[in-house]
Amino acid sequence: MTMSRAQATATVVDAAPLTLRELARAVGAEDQWVLRLVEVELLHVDAPDQPPERWHFRSADLQRALAARRLERDFGANLDTAALIIDLQTELRRMRALLGAHGIG
Amino acid sequence: MDFKDYYSALGVARDASDDDIRKAYRKLARKYHPDVSKEADAETKMRDINEAKDVLGDKEKRAAYDQLADRVARGGSPDGGFNPPPGWDEGFEFHRGPRGQAGPADHADFSEFFSSIFGNRGGMGTGMGAGTGGKARGAFREKGEDHHAAIEISLEDALHGAERQISLRAQVVDDQGRPRFEDRTLDVKIPAGIRPGQHIRLGGQGLPGYGGEPAGDLYLEVRIAPHKLYRIEGHDLYMTLPVTPTEAALGAKVTVPTPAGGRVDVTVPKGARSGMKLRLKEQGLPGKTPGHLYLLIEIALPPADTDAARAAYEQLAKAAPFDPRKNLGA
Repeated sequence: MTMSRAQATATVVDAAPLTLRELARAVGAEDQWVLRLVEVELLHVDAPDQPPERWHFRSADLQRALAARRLERDFGANLDTAALIIDLQTELRRMRALLGAHGIG
Repeated sequence: MDFKDYYSALGVARDASDDDIRKAYRKLARKYHPDVSKEADAETKMRDINEAKDVLGDKEKRAAYDQLADRVARGGSPDGGFNPPPGWDEGFEFHRGPRGQAGPADHADFSEFFSSIFGNRGGMGTGMGAGTGGKARGAFREKGEDHHAAIEISLEDALHGAERQISLRAQVVDDQGRPRFEDRTLDVKIPAGIRPGQHIRLGGQGLPGYGGEPAGDLYLEVRIAPHKLYRIEGHDLYMTLPVTPTEAALGAKVTVPTPAGGRVDVTVPKGARSGMKLRLKEQGLPGKTPGHLYLLIEIALPPADTDAARAAYEQLAKAAPFDPRKNLGA
Protein backbone atom coordinates (compact mmCIF):
# COMPACT_ATOMS: atom_id res chain seq x y z
CA MET A 1 0.00 0.00 0.00
CA THR A 2 1.30 3.46 -0.83
CA MET A 3 0.33 6.85 0.46
CA SER A 4 0.43 10.10 -1.42
CA ARG A 5 -0.67 13.63 -0.76
CA ALA A 6 -1.74 16.11 -3.37
CA GLN A 7 -3.46 19.41 -3.80
CA ALA A 8 -6.50 19.49 -5.99
CA THR A 9 -7.82 22.46 -7.85
CA ALA A 10 -11.48 22.80 -7.02
CA THR A 11 -13.86 24.36 -9.50
CA VAL A 12 -17.50 24.92 -8.70
CA VAL A 13 -19.48 23.49 -11.58
CA ASP A 14 -21.82 26.49 -11.57
CA ALA A 15 -18.87 28.84 -12.03
CA ALA A 16 -17.42 26.77 -14.87
CA PRO A 17 -20.42 24.92 -16.33
CA LEU A 18 -20.03 21.58 -18.07
CA THR A 19 -20.30 21.04 -21.79
CA LEU A 20 -22.64 18.38 -23.09
CA ARG A 21 -19.70 16.03 -23.55
CA GLU A 22 -18.44 16.66 -20.02
CA LEU A 23 -21.89 16.08 -18.53
CA ALA A 24 -22.21 12.84 -20.49
CA ARG A 25 -18.81 11.70 -19.20
CA ALA A 26 -19.68 12.66 -15.64
CA VAL A 27 -22.74 10.42 -15.63
CA GLY A 28 -21.14 7.63 -17.67
CA ALA A 29 -23.38 8.12 -20.68
CA GLU A 30 -23.19 8.95 -24.36
CA ASP A 31 -23.84 12.46 -25.67
CA GLN A 32 -27.02 11.19 -27.28
CA TRP A 33 -28.43 10.24 -23.90
CA VAL A 34 -27.97 13.78 -22.61
CA LEU A 35 -29.70 15.10 -25.73
CA ARG A 36 -32.67 12.89 -24.81
CA LEU A 37 -32.75 14.47 -21.34
CA VAL A 38 -33.07 17.88 -22.97
CA GLU A 39 -35.72 16.56 -25.32
CA VAL A 40 -37.91 15.30 -22.45
CA GLU A 41 -37.23 18.60 -20.64
CA LEU A 42 -35.49 16.90 -17.77
CA LEU A 43 -32.69 19.35 -18.42
CA HIS A 44 -33.28 22.90 -19.55
CA VAL A 45 -30.67 24.61 -21.64
CA ASP A 46 -30.28 28.36 -21.56
CA ALA A 47 -29.77 28.69 -25.29
CA PRO A 48 -31.73 25.92 -27.05
CA ASP A 49 -31.25 27.61 -30.43
CA GLN A 50 -27.50 27.21 -30.17
CA PRO A 51 -25.88 23.95 -31.32
CA PRO A 52 -25.56 21.38 -28.48
CA GLU A 53 -21.78 21.84 -28.39
CA ARG A 54 -22.40 25.31 -27.00
CA TRP A 55 -24.84 24.33 -24.29
CA HIS A 56 -23.84 24.59 -20.65
CA PHE A 57 -24.90 22.53 -17.66
CA ARG A 58 -24.71 23.36 -13.99
CA SER A 59 -24.80 21.48 -10.66
CA ALA A 60 -28.57 21.05 -10.68
CA ASP A 61 -28.36 19.55 -14.19
CA LEU A 62 -25.65 17.14 -13.07
CA GLN A 63 -27.77 16.12 -10.09
CA ARG A 64 -30.83 15.52 -12.27
CA ALA A 65 -28.86 13.60 -14.88
CA LEU A 66 -27.38 11.33 -12.19
CA ALA A 67 -30.84 10.73 -10.74
CA ALA A 68 -32.24 9.90 -14.19
CA ARG A 69 -29.40 7.47 -14.78
CA ARG A 70 -30.18 5.60 -11.57
CA LEU A 71 -33.93 5.50 -12.22
CA GLU A 72 -33.37 4.22 -15.71
CA ARG A 73 -30.90 1.58 -14.63
CA ASP A 74 -32.40 0.44 -11.32
CA PHE A 75 -36.09 0.67 -12.14
CA GLY A 76 -36.13 0.42 -15.89
CA ALA A 77 -37.86 3.82 -15.96
CA ASN A 78 -38.10 5.46 -19.34
CA LEU A 79 -36.91 9.05 -19.47
CA ASP A 80 -40.39 10.59 -19.52
CA THR A 81 -41.24 8.70 -16.33
CA ALA A 82 -37.87 9.58 -14.83
CA ALA A 83 -38.50 13.26 -15.61
CA LEU A 84 -41.83 13.15 -13.78
CA ILE A 85 -40.32 11.36 -10.76
CA ILE A 86 -37.43 13.79 -10.59
CA ASP A 87 -39.76 16.80 -10.82
CA LEU A 88 -41.86 15.38 -7.97
CA GLN A 89 -38.74 14.56 -5.97
CA THR A 90 -37.42 18.09 -6.47
CA GLU A 91 -40.71 19.56 -5.31
CA LEU A 92 -40.83 17.22 -2.31
CA ARG A 93 -37.34 18.26 -1.25
CA ARG A 94 -38.14 21.93 -1.76
CA MET A 95 -41.27 21.65 0.38
CA ARG A 96 -39.40 19.75 3.09
CA ALA A 97 -36.64 22.33 3.12
CA LEU A 98 -39.24 25.09 3.39
CA LEU A 99 -40.96 23.33 6.29
CA GLY A 100 -37.59 22.78 7.92
CA ALA A 101 -36.70 26.45 7.47
CA HIS A 102 -39.91 27.35 9.31
CA GLY A 103 -39.03 24.94 12.07
CA ILE A 104 -41.70 22.42 11.09
CA GLY A 105 -40.94 18.80 10.39
CA MET B 1 -14.38 -7.44 8.16
CA ASP B 2 -17.46 -9.65 7.98
CA PHE B 3 -18.56 -11.62 4.97
CA LYS B 4 -21.66 -9.99 3.49
CA ASP B 5 -24.60 -12.13 2.50
CA TYR B 6 -26.00 -10.28 -0.50
CA TYR B 7 -28.81 -12.79 -0.96
CA SER B 8 -30.24 -12.09 2.49
CA ALA B 9 -29.75 -8.35 1.95
CA LEU B 10 -32.23 -8.63 -0.92
CA GLY B 11 -34.27 -11.35 0.75
CA VAL B 12 -33.87 -13.78 -2.15
CA ALA B 13 -32.77 -17.40 -2.41
CA ARG B 14 -29.40 -18.41 -3.77
CA ASP B 15 -31.05 -19.70 -6.94
CA ALA B 16 -33.10 -16.55 -7.50
CA SER B 17 -33.54 -15.60 -11.13
CA ASP B 18 -32.41 -12.26 -12.51
CA ASP B 19 -36.03 -11.22 -12.54
CA ASP B 20 -36.47 -12.18 -8.85
CA ILE B 21 -33.42 -10.13 -7.97
CA ARG B 22 -34.65 -7.14 -9.94
CA LYS B 23 -38.09 -7.31 -8.33
CA ALA B 24 -36.67 -7.72 -4.82
CA TYR B 25 -34.36 -4.78 -5.34
CA ARG B 26 -37.11 -2.50 -6.62
CA LYS B 27 -39.40 -3.40 -3.74
CA LEU B 28 -36.72 -2.71 -1.14
CA ALA B 29 -35.50 0.42 -2.91
CA ARG B 30 -39.01 1.86 -2.67
CA LYS B 31 -39.17 0.93 1.01
CA TYR B 32 -35.82 2.44 1.94
CA HIS B 33 -35.51 5.32 -0.49
CA PRO B 34 -34.37 8.27 1.65
CA ASP B 35 -37.07 10.54 0.23
CA VAL B 36 -39.93 8.33 1.34
CA SER B 37 -38.69 6.00 4.06
CA LYS B 38 -39.53 6.55 7.72
CA GLU B 39 -37.08 3.85 8.79
CA ALA B 40 -34.28 5.09 11.03
CA ASP B 41 -31.59 3.15 9.19
CA ALA B 42 -32.94 3.79 5.69
CA GLU B 43 -29.69 5.19 4.38
CA THR B 44 -27.63 2.19 5.51
CA LYS B 45 -30.23 -0.24 4.20
CA MET B 46 -30.32 1.56 0.86
CA ARG B 47 -26.56 1.30 0.61
CA ASP B 48 -26.66 -2.40 1.43
CA ILE B 49 -29.32 -3.22 -1.13
CA ASN B 50 -27.60 -1.11 -3.79
CA GLU B 51 -24.41 -3.01 -3.13
CA ALA B 52 -26.19 -6.38 -3.19
CA LYS B 53 -27.95 -5.52 -6.44
CA ASP B 54 -24.70 -4.37 -8.02
CA VAL B 55 -23.15 -7.78 -7.38
CA LEU B 56 -26.11 -10.12 -7.88
CA GLY B 57 -27.42 -8.18 -10.85
CA ASP B 58 -24.18 -8.71 -12.77
CA LYS B 59 -23.67 -12.26 -14.04
CA GLU B 60 -19.87 -12.18 -13.75
CA LYS B 61 -19.79 -10.63 -10.32
CA ARG B 62 -22.52 -12.95 -9.07
CA ALA B 63 -20.67 -16.04 -10.28
CA ALA B 64 -17.47 -14.87 -8.63
CA TYR B 65 -19.32 -14.00 -5.43
CA ASP B 66 -21.06 -17.40 -5.36
CA GLN B 67 -17.74 -19.18 -5.70
CA LEU B 68 -16.29 -17.08 -2.91
CA ALA B 69 -19.32 -17.78 -0.70
CA ASP B 70 -18.87 -21.53 -1.27
CA ARG B 71 -15.23 -21.32 -0.25
CA VAL B 72 -16.14 -19.36 2.86
CA ALA B 73 -18.86 -21.89 3.71
CA ARG B 74 -16.35 -24.72 3.42
CA GLY B 75 -13.97 -23.16 5.90
CA GLY B 76 -14.14 -19.59 7.13
CA SER B 77 -11.52 -17.83 9.19
CA PRO B 78 -11.24 -19.14 12.75
CA ASP B 79 -11.91 -15.69 14.23
CA GLY B 80 -15.02 -15.28 12.17
CA GLY B 81 -13.48 -12.44 10.21
CA PHE B 82 -13.27 -12.47 6.46
CA ASN B 83 -10.45 -11.89 4.02
CA PRO B 84 -10.73 -12.91 0.41
CA PRO B 85 -8.41 -15.91 -0.13
CA PRO B 86 -5.60 -15.40 -2.65
CA GLY B 87 -6.56 -16.26 -6.20
CA TRP B 88 -10.27 -16.53 -5.33
CA ASP B 89 -11.23 -14.64 -8.47
CA GLU B 90 -9.28 -16.72 -10.99
CA GLY B 91 -11.27 -17.27 -14.12
CA PHE B 92 -13.53 -14.29 -13.60
CA GLU B 93 -13.28 -10.97 -15.35
CA PHE B 94 -15.72 -8.61 -13.73
CA HIS B 95 -15.65 -5.00 -14.53
CA ARG B 96 -17.97 -2.17 -15.11
CA GLY B 97 -20.18 -2.43 -18.10
CA PRO B 98 -19.45 -0.30 -21.10
CA ARG B 99 -20.52 3.30 -20.97
CA GLY B 100 -24.26 3.44 -21.25
CA GLN B 101 -24.94 0.58 -18.85
CA ALA B 102 -23.57 1.68 -15.54
CA GLY B 103 -23.31 5.03 -13.87
CA PRO B 104 -20.04 6.23 -12.44
CA ALA B 105 -21.49 7.01 -9.03
CA ASP B 106 -22.42 3.43 -8.34
CA HIS B 107 -19.78 2.47 -5.85
CA ALA B 108 -19.23 5.68 -3.96
CA ASP B 109 -20.61 4.41 -0.67
CA PHE B 110 -20.06 0.71 -0.89
CA SER B 111 -18.59 -1.31 1.95
CA GLU B 112 -15.06 -2.40 2.65
CA PHE B 113 -16.17 -5.95 1.91
CA PHE B 114 -17.27 -4.92 -1.57
CA SER B 115 -14.03 -3.04 -2.13
CA SER B 116 -11.90 -5.94 -1.03
CA ILE B 117 -13.40 -8.29 -3.56
CA PHE B 118 -14.42 -6.07 -6.44
CA GLY B 119 -11.74 -3.45 -6.19
CA ASN B 120 -13.88 -0.37 -5.69
CA ARG B 121 -13.27 1.44 -2.50
CA GLY B 122 -15.13 4.16 -0.69
CA GLY B 123 -13.17 6.98 0.84
CA MET B 124 -13.09 7.83 4.51
CA GLY B 125 -12.16 10.46 7.01
CA THR B 126 -14.65 13.12 6.06
CA GLY B 127 -17.78 11.10 5.65
CA MET B 128 -17.35 11.06 1.93
CA GLY B 129 -16.76 8.27 -0.50
CA ALA B 130 -14.89 7.84 -3.71
CA GLY B 131 -13.68 4.86 -5.59
CA THR B 132 -11.81 3.38 -8.45
CA GLY B 133 -12.78 1.38 -11.44
CA GLY B 134 -13.01 -2.36 -11.41
CA LYS B 135 -10.36 -4.75 -12.56
CA ALA B 136 -10.59 -3.86 -16.20
CA ARG B 137 -7.40 -4.94 -17.86
CA GLY B 138 -6.03 -4.80 -21.33
CA ALA B 139 -4.25 -2.59 -23.77
CA PHE B 140 -7.00 -0.18 -24.75
CA ARG B 141 -6.63 3.52 -24.20
CA GLU B 142 -9.30 5.51 -22.47
CA LYS B 143 -9.54 8.45 -20.16
CA GLY B 144 -10.43 7.39 -16.61
CA GLU B 145 -14.04 7.55 -15.55
CA ASP B 146 -15.35 10.49 -13.59
CA HIS B 147 -16.35 9.68 -10.07
CA HIS B 148 -18.76 11.14 -7.54
CA ALA B 149 -18.82 11.60 -3.79
CA ALA B 150 -20.36 13.94 -1.26
CA ILE B 151 -18.73 16.24 1.23
CA GLU B 152 -20.41 17.77 4.27
CA ILE B 153 -19.22 21.16 5.44
CA SER B 154 -20.39 23.65 8.04
CA LEU B 155 -22.41 26.72 7.14
CA GLU B 156 -19.47 28.86 8.25
CA ASP B 157 -17.18 27.01 5.82
CA ALA B 158 -19.71 27.52 3.07
CA LEU B 159 -19.90 31.24 3.77
CA HIS B 160 -16.23 31.95 4.29
CA GLY B 161 -14.51 29.17 2.35
CA ALA B 162 -12.24 26.56 3.88
CA GLU B 163 -9.45 24.11 3.26
CA ARG B 164 -10.42 20.52 3.80
CA GLN B 165 -8.45 17.31 3.63
CA ILE B 166 -10.11 14.32 2.13
CA SER B 167 -8.76 10.81 2.14
CA LEU B 168 -9.28 8.44 -0.72
CA ARG B 169 -8.28 4.86 -1.26
CA ALA B 170 -8.01 3.63 -4.80
CA GLN B 171 -7.02 0.35 -6.34
CA VAL B 172 -4.56 0.94 -9.14
CA VAL B 173 -2.80 -1.45 -11.46
CA ASP B 174 0.99 -1.20 -11.59
CA ASP B 175 3.24 -1.57 -14.64
CA GLN B 176 3.28 -5.33 -14.22
CA GLY B 177 -0.51 -5.46 -14.17
CA ARG B 178 -0.68 -6.19 -10.44
CA PRO B 179 -3.42 -4.46 -8.48
CA ARG B 180 -2.48 -2.55 -5.36
CA PHE B 181 -4.17 -0.07 -3.05
CA GLU B 182 -3.05 3.51 -3.02
CA ASP B 183 -4.13 5.90 -0.29
CA ARG B 184 -4.27 9.54 -1.20
CA THR B 185 -4.88 12.64 0.81
CA LEU B 186 -6.21 15.58 -1.11
CA ASP B 187 -6.11 19.16 0.10
CA VAL B 188 -9.24 20.73 -1.28
CA LYS B 189 -10.01 24.41 -1.18
CA ILE B 190 -13.73 24.97 -0.68
CA PRO B 191 -14.59 28.32 -2.27
CA ALA B 192 -16.50 30.90 -0.24
CA GLY B 193 -20.16 31.20 -1.12
CA ILE B 194 -20.70 27.55 -2.02
CA ARG B 195 -24.28 26.41 -1.65
CA PRO B 196 -25.79 23.02 -0.81
CA GLY B 197 -26.34 20.88 -3.88
CA GLN B 198 -23.56 22.53 -5.82
CA HIS B 199 -20.82 20.31 -7.18
CA ILE B 200 -17.11 20.86 -6.89
CA ARG B 201 -15.06 19.41 -9.70
CA LEU B 202 -11.55 18.17 -8.98
CA GLY B 203 -9.78 17.71 -12.28
CA GLY B 204 -7.78 14.51 -12.69
CA GLN B 205 -8.85 13.04 -9.32
CA GLY B 206 -11.29 10.48 -10.68
CA LEU B 207 -10.50 6.98 -11.84
CA PRO B 208 -7.11 6.33 -13.43
CA GLY B 209 -6.96 6.33 -17.22
CA TYR B 210 -5.90 3.35 -19.28
CA GLY B 211 -3.04 3.11 -21.73
CA GLY B 212 -1.50 6.40 -20.65
CA GLU B 213 -4.70 8.41 -20.89
CA PRO B 214 -5.43 10.94 -18.13
CA ALA B 215 -7.48 10.22 -15.04
CA GLY B 216 -11.11 11.23 -14.87
CA ASP B 217 -12.46 13.94 -12.61
CA LEU B 218 -13.88 13.70 -9.12
CA TYR B 219 -17.14 15.51 -8.42
CA LEU B 220 -18.02 16.35 -4.84
CA GLU B 221 -21.61 17.19 -4.03
CA VAL B 222 -21.68 19.78 -1.28
CA ARG B 223 -23.91 19.16 1.71
CA ILE B 224 -24.18 21.58 4.59
CA ALA B 225 -24.46 20.26 8.12
CA PRO B 226 -27.41 21.43 10.23
CA HIS B 227 -26.63 24.69 12.03
CA LYS B 228 -27.74 25.56 15.55
CA LEU B 229 -29.17 28.96 14.49
CA TYR B 230 -29.74 29.06 10.76
CA ARG B 231 -31.77 26.83 8.46
CA ILE B 232 -31.26 26.83 4.71
CA GLU B 233 -33.95 27.11 2.06
CA GLY B 234 -32.53 27.65 -1.40
CA HIS B 235 -30.35 30.75 -1.17
CA ASP B 236 -32.17 32.02 1.90
CA LEU B 237 -31.44 31.44 5.55
CA TYR B 238 -34.05 31.31 8.29
CA MET B 239 -33.54 31.99 11.98
CA THR B 240 -36.04 31.91 14.82
CA LEU B 241 -36.09 35.24 16.66
CA PRO B 242 -37.54 34.92 20.17
CA VAL B 243 -39.12 38.12 21.50
CA THR B 244 -40.96 38.90 24.73
CA PRO B 245 -44.70 39.69 24.69
CA THR B 246 -43.80 43.28 25.60
CA GLU B 247 -41.41 43.58 22.65
CA ALA B 248 -44.01 42.06 20.35
CA ALA B 249 -46.82 44.29 21.58
CA LEU B 250 -44.97 47.58 21.82
CA GLY B 251 -42.26 47.09 19.24
CA ALA B 252 -38.54 47.03 20.04
CA LYS B 253 -35.06 47.16 18.70
CA VAL B 254 -33.19 43.88 19.20
CA THR B 255 -29.70 42.77 18.24
CA VAL B 256 -29.26 39.61 16.21
CA PRO B 257 -26.19 37.78 14.91
CA THR B 258 -25.68 37.59 11.16
CA PRO B 259 -24.35 34.51 9.35
CA ALA B 260 -21.31 36.51 8.22
CA GLY B 261 -20.27 36.82 11.86
CA GLY B 262 -21.49 40.35 12.58
CA ARG B 263 -24.39 41.76 14.54
CA VAL B 264 -27.22 43.90 13.38
CA ASP B 265 -29.99 45.87 15.09
CA VAL B 266 -33.45 44.86 13.96
CA THR B 267 -36.72 46.67 14.57
CA VAL B 268 -39.49 44.41 15.77
CA PRO B 269 -42.67 46.15 14.64
CA LYS B 270 -45.41 47.06 17.08
CA GLY B 271 -48.03 44.31 17.27
CA ALA B 272 -45.69 41.59 15.94
CA ARG B 273 -47.17 38.10 15.90
CA SER B 274 -45.60 34.65 16.17
CA GLY B 275 -44.65 33.37 12.74
CA MET B 276 -44.20 36.88 11.32
CA LYS B 277 -41.16 37.10 9.04
CA LEU B 278 -38.65 39.94 9.06
CA ARG B 279 -36.30 40.07 6.11
CA LEU B 280 -32.67 41.13 6.24
CA LYS B 281 -31.90 41.78 2.63
CA GLU B 282 -28.98 39.91 1.08
CA GLN B 283 -27.80 38.50 4.41
CA GLY B 284 -28.40 34.93 3.26
CA LEU B 285 -26.10 32.77 1.17
CA PRO B 286 -23.86 34.82 -1.11
CA GLY B 287 -23.93 34.43 -4.87
CA LYS B 288 -24.81 36.22 -8.07
CA THR B 289 -28.27 36.60 -6.57
CA PRO B 290 -27.58 36.71 -2.83
CA GLY B 291 -30.17 35.14 -0.57
CA HIS B 292 -31.90 36.88 2.31
CA LEU B 293 -31.93 36.18 6.01
CA TYR B 294 -35.44 35.73 7.37
CA LEU B 295 -36.14 36.12 11.06
CA LEU B 296 -39.17 34.15 12.21
CA ILE B 297 -40.68 35.81 15.23
CA GLU B 298 -41.52 33.54 18.11
CA ILE B 299 -43.12 35.05 21.20
CA ALA B 300 -41.52 33.66 24.35
CA LEU B 301 -43.47 33.99 27.59
CA PRO B 302 -41.70 35.14 30.73
CA PRO B 303 -42.14 32.40 33.36
CA ALA B 304 -44.76 33.09 36.02
CA ASP B 305 -42.59 31.65 38.75
CA THR B 306 -42.57 34.46 41.32
CA ASP B 307 -45.33 36.31 43.14
CA ALA B 308 -44.38 39.51 41.35
CA ALA B 309 -44.51 37.87 37.93
CA ARG B 310 -47.88 36.26 38.66
CA ALA B 311 -49.24 39.60 39.89
CA ALA B 312 -47.99 41.30 36.74
CA TYR B 313 -49.81 38.73 34.55
CA GLU B 314 -53.01 39.23 36.53
CA GLN B 315 -52.68 42.98 36.24
CA LEU B 316 -52.18 42.66 32.49
CA ALA B 317 -55.33 40.54 32.20
CA LYS B 318 -57.30 43.27 33.99
CA ALA B 319 -55.73 46.16 32.12
CA ALA B 320 -56.04 44.60 28.67
CA PRO B 321 -59.01 42.19 28.61
CA PHE B 322 -58.42 39.87 25.68
CA ASP B 323 -60.15 36.72 24.45
CA PRO B 324 -57.92 34.88 21.95
CA ARG B 325 -60.71 32.29 21.43
CA LYS B 326 -63.50 34.65 20.53
CA ASN B 327 -63.69 33.32 16.95
CA LEU B 328 -64.10 29.71 18.02
CA GLY B 329 -67.82 30.15 18.66
CA ALA B 330 -67.64 28.26 21.94
